Amino acid sequence: MRDVYAVGIGITSFTRLEYPLSEIAAYPAMMALKDCGLSEVDHLYVANMGGGRVNHQTALASAVVDTLSLTPAGAETIENGPASGASAIKQGFLAVASGMHDVVLVTGAERMREVNNLEVTEFVATLTHPLAEYVYGVTLPSLAAMFTRLYMERYGVTERHLAMVAVKNQNAALKNEFAHLQQPITIEGILDSPEAMTNNPYVSEPLRFFDCCPVSDGGACIILASEEVARKLDRPLVRLAGVGQATDTHVVHERESPTDLLAVRGAAEKAFGMAGLTPGDVDVAELHDAFTILEIVESEEVGFFPKGEGHVALERGETALGGKLPINVSGGLKGRGHPVGATGVAQAYEIVHQLRSEAGERQVSGARVGLTLNFGGFGNNVVCLVFAREE
Amino acid sequence: MEIYAYKCKRCGHLHYPYRMVCRNCGENEHNEFDPVPLPREGKLLTFTVLHSLPPDFEVPTLGLAIVELTNGLRVTGQMRIDAPAAGMAVRGEVELVRTEGYDERFGMVFYPA
Repeated sequence: MRDVYAVGIGITSFTRLEYPLSEIAAYPAMMALKDCGLSEVDHLYVANMGGGRVNHQTALASAVVDTLSLTPAGAETIENGPASGASAIKQGFLAVASGMHDVVLVTGAERMREVNNLEVTEFVATLTHPLAEYVYGVTLPSLAAMFTRLYMERYGVTERHLAMVAVKNQNAALKNEFAHLQQPITIEGILDSPEAMTNNPYVSEPLRFFDCCPVSDGGACIILASEEVARKLDRPLVRLAGVGQATDTHVVHERESPTDLLAVRGAAEKAFGMAGLTPGDVDVAELHDAFTILEIVESEEVGFFPKGEGHVALERGETALGGKLPINVSGGLKGRGHPVGATGVAQAYEIVHQLRSEAGERQVSGARVGLTLNFGGFGNNVVCLVFAREE
Repeated sequence: MEIYAYKCKRCGHLHYPYRMVCRNCGENEHNEFDPVPLPREGKLLTFTVLHSLPPDFEVPTLGLAIVELTNGLRVTGQMRIDAPAAGMAVRGEVELVRTEGYDERFGMVFYPA
């Protein structure tokens, strides 16, 4: 396999966007092309989950390649639930690593705010098992809530720990101009004050409003290229060093140990194995905190902390900017927002930005190795990427 | 009315819900399973009260649970229990759980045993 480099990145604001889905995908691609100075690509992968269902637009890649006037380059839409973004990057990696293509553009986009929040939650719930989960009214927040209750019983995680993740990530988003949430929050306001239950009602007990990511529109892009191309461009060299993916049972109740996320563990092991690196080498990470509990559990399953001790590292401030291993300094899904198909690409955007030392106020100083974890389904399809800065 | 688990004809492993290939022995002859009704008795493994419901539910909140049945299988279902607690003994009934347009969907609803 050839080495693969991340040469260009681009992103939109994550918020409510009033322009069409194809443009939400194309705009960050224009930024990424400008970023690396390329004007032609061999292939495009467009990550999107809801185009067909929410926006009445299928075969999105065909629209995107044409609006960018990049025809006749090949183009495909990649749908892998909320892990579509990292899956599309994985496809781009394979295309360059195999030698089939030299430059591949991967863009992810979602326009979820076309419908109301309840309809969005319902659309995302269609990824659950139709007869054993969906039919009962199961939503992703409810699966996360049932998982949280088990984690609380077994490992001593409390609502306060969840609130600490919410405060850390939502306040981190204040340093990210592209992040959806631009409103500071405090533990007092969302947990301790007499108004907390009004400010922060239950969505699915024990998860509250501020434990859940917002529903956002947005797009993000990353351009992957061979070493030969990357060395000709005037950008810092960031290599996509490891790519790992693993799956778990479709139905959550079938998992042997209901507090394990084996697909997270497996995806990270594979990515570290390919990169020849270990969790201890990572300087900055973007984890899939669609719900606050997930940041805690994923930080354990990828190998940063022993099982059941993620919340202890959080308490010690190890995962905040300035800590030993900053997690979600972009704001994460919680603060930046979660346009499902774009999220995996936005995570990669942040890591490349960090490894180039271009992240300004939220820069993790001296970051050389970064990890992204994109979590599809309720942990049934997970993609992990490891990036490394080179000279 | 019953909800069925699927017992592999080769190794006896039970699955719920249906799958096409046995998770235990990997036997890939299609439909080589015997349907076995799910037991009704079990205990609450975990649960939630959902306050933000899919738009077609016309109730203020919805109880959802994962229950460990007496034969070791787990099942996700609705829960109508006022004071749920982990480990609590429950009993399931097959009832109407969702109406989608003119289609009525039935599933497992758990009550205190």
